[in-house]
Order: sequence, then structure tokens, then C-alpha cells
Amino acid sequence: MSSVKICPEWPQVNKSEYKGVWVYVEHRNGVIKDGSLQLIGKARELASKINVDVSAIMIGHNLGDLVKEPIYYGADRVIYIDDEALSVYIPHIYASAIVNLVNKYKPEVVLFAATKRGRELAPYVANTLRAGITADCTDLDIDVKTRDLDQVRPTYGGNILAHIRTPNRRPQLASVRPNVFPTPPRDTSRKGEIIKESLNNLPKPNGVLLGVKSVTRGDSDLPPVEKADLVVTAGRGVSGPEGVKLLIELAKALGGTIGGTKKVTDAGWLPTDRQIGQTGKTIRPTVYIGVGVSGAIQHIFGIKESKIIVAINSDPNAPIFEYADYGIISDYRQAVQALLEVLRSMRKPS
Amino acid sequence: MGATVISSANAGSNMGKELTIIVPVKAAVPNITAVRLDPVTHNLVREGVPLMLNPYDRNALEFALRLKDKYGGRVITLSMAPPSGKDFLESTIGMGADEAYLITDRVFAGADTLATSYTVAMTIKKLFPGFNLVVMGEETTDSTTAHMPAQVASWLSLPYLYYVVDGEVNMEKGTIKLTRYLEDEGVYEEFEYNMPVIVSVYKDSNPPRDISLNRKIQAKLSGLVKSVTNNELKLDPLCVGLRGSPTIVAKIEDAKPIPRKKQIFKGDPREAAKWLIENLIKEGVIKP
Ligand SMILES: Cc1cc2nc3c(=O)[nH]c(=O)nc-3n(C[C@H](O)[C@H](O)[C@H](O)COP(=O)(O)OP(=O)(O)OC[C@H]3O[C@@H](n4cnc5c(N)ncnc54)[C@H](O)[C@@H]3O)c2cc1C
Ligand SMILES: Nc1ncnc2c1ncn2[C@@H]1O[C@H](COP(=O)(O)O)[C@@H](O)[C@H]1O
Repeated sequence: MSSVKICPEWPQVNKSEYKGVWVYVEHRNGVIKDGSLQLIGKARELASKINVDVSAIMIGHNLGDLVKEPIYYGADRVIYIDDEALSVYIPHIYASAIVNLVNKYKPEVVLFAATKRGRELAPYVANTLRAGITADCTDLDIDVKTRDLDQVRPTYGGNILAHIRTPNRRPQLASVRPNVFPTPPRDTSRKGEIIKESLNNLPKPNGVLLGVKSVTRGDSDLPPVEKADLVVTAGRGVSGPEGVKLLIELAKALGGTIGGTKKVTDAGWLPTDRQIGQTGKTIRPTVYIGVGVSGAIQHIFGIKESKIIVAINSDPNAPIFEYADYGIISDYRQAVQALLEVLRSMRKPS
Repeated sequence: MGATVISSANAGSNMGKELTIIVPVKAAVPNITAVRLDPVTHNLVREGVPLMLNPYDRNALEFALRLKDKYGGRVITLSMAPPSGKDFLESTIGMGADEAYLITDRVFAGADTLATSYTVAMTIKKLFPGFNLVVMGEETTDSTTAHMPAQVASWLSLPYLYYVVDGEVNMEKGTIKLTRYLEDEGVYEEFEYNMPVIVSVYKDSNPPRDISLNRKIQAKLSGLVKSVTNNELKLDPLCVGLRGSPTIVAKIEDAKPIPRKKQIFKGDPREAAKWLIENLIKEGVIKP
């Protein structure tokens, strides 16, 4: 091993010194991100294959009881830093704090949820450690012999899955798309170790947060399409803003959100940030319901990873039925009205 | 390691001078589904493939040009790409960049994001030590990693911020106010940073201006795109290209389409609605 010449910028690593699977646990306003909880579940699975522990890393200020949560979801240990200097999230400061913990404890795997902040943080951590990293994985496995992390990500337009490995460096880092793994059950009887670490050796912040502003979205009070578990999608077949309104009602009754095909957003019936497909957003909700959507390949590209696909279309030959788990051949108005009625009668307090 | 780090004591060393903005851009492969993969490295074969400017890098360049329009200074694009990359760099000049640099050498081939970011960061450090800003795209459409901006920041030991939509420079103080949009949280955050700082631009912001064909042709005729090889950069071959890349693509496979049930209901809409809801409850995806 040591005879292999490596870049002098890289530290030599002794792979056997690195042990354990880490999850960086992201939180905001006292709530842990689902993507992080899901990763704790996956980390458990990987760790038990190679007989090591799962540690959750938390960073921030006034964390309080939040540091216990990762234990309830399956972590063996929480390592946290609670410091006023971390009350504001500055990417290179948070990243440097994580780097310091990695250098001290030497885990073999470090996982991040690929949220917007997670995607910002992870590559700086990896690069500063001169380690490899894979972005936006949709699956992970571990080779029990080599202990190499098998990092699976869709690539080149989504038609190919690449398996990426980092055979000679440690730790192995990856960011993982939220919602590809289930959230483990919360079990408050679980026990674990909680370690408080202190902050040191940080670079100068060189930046301050001046303010935060939440956006009130003009179109509706519904979440963006990439965030929802259930997405009702309007196609040209709903023939106008009135039809879209009916679908918004359905989306609300099902606790989901509304999206549209390109034809619908081009027509201005919904804002462009709700367009789903190749030139819009890619979504992978638990349930996709396409209403008056023909199923053009550019649209299907954005929905094909959905867990369950439902189609409502009056044309029995509409291509979307080829991609659907459940299809209803019907005029959309009648079908959607009937769905709303069934849902209403189901939820009426009896 | 010390040799490669710009100490933060250098921060603001360019104060009072003209604003210098570096925009690293990438050649993206236009039709990503119709390309060839190298059978050994599983990397994309870029040789002989027509290249275009990564679409989101045009938004990044637009952000940089807007700052230049407001505060003066110069905008320099650079790209690590095969020799055919000259053409898309001419497009960046067509859009309004002052100069462009093509970083090209066989020894840089096969790089992952660590080795690419090293090459790009060291080029910036060597050619433009007094820069104020590095502006990059949110991600590339053919590799979609969004790694590069943070990695370049890490090599240069500088602060960085992703998803930026707006900036306001104060040359006297050597600072920049940055507004960024976190799509998944639906919030705007406003920061103030000392320059130099590295940013990436939110892909749905700063809609790019047109490429002037005249300027593009001018760029070609006057040779405004310069090539840089490792003869000038003198980077250790162990740190670049395939050898400088810790990750390997171990295997590729076709993404299997998820098999679908294809159960179709035709008949009374009320029955159809009941049938669907019952099935969704059975699947455990909606609550009874
Ligand atoms: C380069 C490129 C990129 C593209 N990117 C995207 C993209 O990102 N996203 C996208 O969506 N499209 C995209 N498109 C467009 C795409 O090719 C299709 O044109 C579009 O998806 C069709 O939208 P639609 O299904 O709403 O409309 P249509 O194809 O017009 O389908 C309407 C459907 O509604 C049904 N219908 C009609 N009346 C009723 C009724 N009363 N009840 C029930 N059903 C009814 C019809 O049977 C039909 O199947 C792109 C195209 C190109 C060339
Ligand atoms: N080869 C390259 N040369 C110069 N800049 C690049 C290169 N690759 C990526 N970038 C920059 O890094 C950004 C993010 O790319 P990526 O990390 O590949 O998703 C791009 O939008 C470009 O601004």
C-alpha cells in the first residue's frame, strides 16, 4: 500500500484506523430533516454488515434535547458541538467543524442528506480531507471484505446507474437523495451514548448572516413538487385554470401538492417552477397522479422514479397507461369529483 | 499543503483595484443519452463530441456580467476541457466576458471532481492571484454533482456560498452582500462576506443575455481564448487527471425501469374512485 505514490497534497491514510459509519444530522428550527433520519436507518444496515457502530453528528447552538433524537431513530452514538459561534450556518465554518471531528474519530463512512445545504457542505468536507465523494446517491451498499462503500447514482441523464468506489482513501463520503430510504420508526426506549465535543481550530468566518426571509409563494399554499410525497399533476386534458383548481382541491384532500406538464405551465395555468419533466423538475414522490396527461417521454423522464404512478385519462390508448400502476379511463371531471366524494365520506367523523 | 493555501491575510489585497471575477465553466455534452462511455474507465468520451456551454454556467456568467455592468472590472472565463473546448469559450466572450482560458493537457484527462477542482483552483491561484470573486454554475447538466464550487473553495481555503441570486459589491470595504435562495426550504438568506469568496449561482436566477455572434467571431479572429497546458501550470501529475482522482467508477448498469402493475379500471367513476382509494390504502400510501 505505502509503496503506491500519491499526490503530495494528500495525507497518507492507514485504512484500518478508520471505523464506523457516520451520518451528519441536519436540523433547522429545532426539527431534524427527514433525509437525515432516513440515512440513520440506512447507516444501521451498512454498519451491521461490517460490525461497527453508527454515529450521528450534530452541530449548532442551543441544541437541547434534539441531540437525543438520532438515538431514537437508531444511532448508537451522537457526537455534537453546541457553540454560539455555530448559531448561524456559515458553510465553510460548519464544514470545518465536521472535518475536525472526522480527524479526531476517523470514521470509515460519512453520509449527508443531499438537501440544498447538505450538497453545499459535503464536498467541502470531503475535499478538505482529500477524500473522494459521490453526489446524490440513490443507493448504498458495503463490501464486507474490502469495506468499500458501493455508491450508486443515476448518471448521464438517468439512463445509467454508476457504482462508484473509493478504494484507497478514507473516509468514504456520499450525499444521498432524500426519500430514497424509509424513515425508521422513532423508539424513545432506545439508549445510546451522547458525546459533547468542543469547537477548535476553525478558520475565520469572513462572513455574517444579515437576514432570512421566507417566501410566500404566489400560486398557492402548497409545497413545491420536489418536496411532496404525493403529487397530483395536471395535463393539457384538464383544459384550463378551472380544471387545475379542481385538481388543487384533490391534492389538498390527499395531503399532497400540484404540478403540471409543460403544456400546462406554458399556458400559464401554473407557474413554471411546477413543471415536471426533462426540462422541468424530476420528482420521486410516493404517489404520482397524472390527470389529463398523455405521457410524453419528456414528461415521463421526470416521474419514472415515483413509487406508485396513477393515471386518469379519457383515452384508453394514452401512453401514460403503459407507465401506470393504477389507471382510470374516464373524463377527468367525473373521476376527480368522485374521488373527492369518496375521500370526504371516508373522513367524515362518524 | 501550506504551499497551496491562500492565507486569509491576503483577503482584500485587491481592494481599491478593479473588480476581478473568474467564471469557471464546463463543456457539457448536449445530448447526454447518445454518448459513448469509455469501456475501461466508464468515463464519458468527450473527444469528438460537440460541446456546448453548460446551460447553468450561462446564468453564472450573467451574474458576473451584471456585477461588471454595475461596478466595472473584468470577467474572465476558464475551463478545463479537451482542445475542442475553444469554441464554447468563444461563446462566453460572445456573451460579454473579457478573456477566456482553456486549460487543456492530456495529463488532466479522466479527472474526478477532486482532481478537476485542484486543477481549476491552482490555475486561478497562479494566473489571477488578486481575484475578488469566483462565480460558478449550480451544477452541470451532464454530471450534476455540484461539487466543484465547494472543492475549489476548499483548495483555496476560502469561504463560499451556493444558490446565490443577487450580489452587491463594496470595493472600498472589500465586501460583498450575497442573497441566496434555498429552494427546498423556501427561504432567502442574505449574507455579507469579505472578498475573495467563491459562489455558485442558483440555476433559476439571472436569465442569461444572448450570445453576440459578432463578438464571438471577433474572439476567434483576435485569438481571445488562450490555451494553458501543464507546461505553464507545472502541477504534479500525481494530483491531476485519473491519477489524482480518489473515486473510480467500478461498474455501470442500465437503470432498470420500475415494473408497473398496469391495472386499469374502466366503468362507473364512483366505482373507479373507490377502487383506486382502496388500492392506495392497501399500498399503505394513504391513510384510511
Ligand atoms: C425538448 C423538449 C422538452 C420537453 N420537456 C417537457 C417537460 O419537461 N415536461 C413536460 O411535461 N413536457 C415536456 N415536453 C413536451 C412533451 O413532449 C409533451 O408535449 C407534453 O408533456 C404533453 O403535455 P400533456 O400531457 O399535458 O398534453 P397532451 O399531450 O396534449 O395530452 C393531453 C391528454 O389529456 C387527455 N384528455 C383530454 N381531455 C380529457 C378529459 N376530459 N379527461 C381526461 N383526459 C383528457 C388526452 O387524452 C391526452 O392524453 C418537452 C418537449 C420537448 C420537445
Ligand atoms: N471542467 C471544468 N472546468 C471549469 N469549471 C468547471 C468544470 N467542471 C465544472 N465546473 C464549474 O463547476 C460548476 C459545478 O459543476 P459540477 O460540480 O460538475 O456539477 C459548473 O457549473 C462550472 O461552473
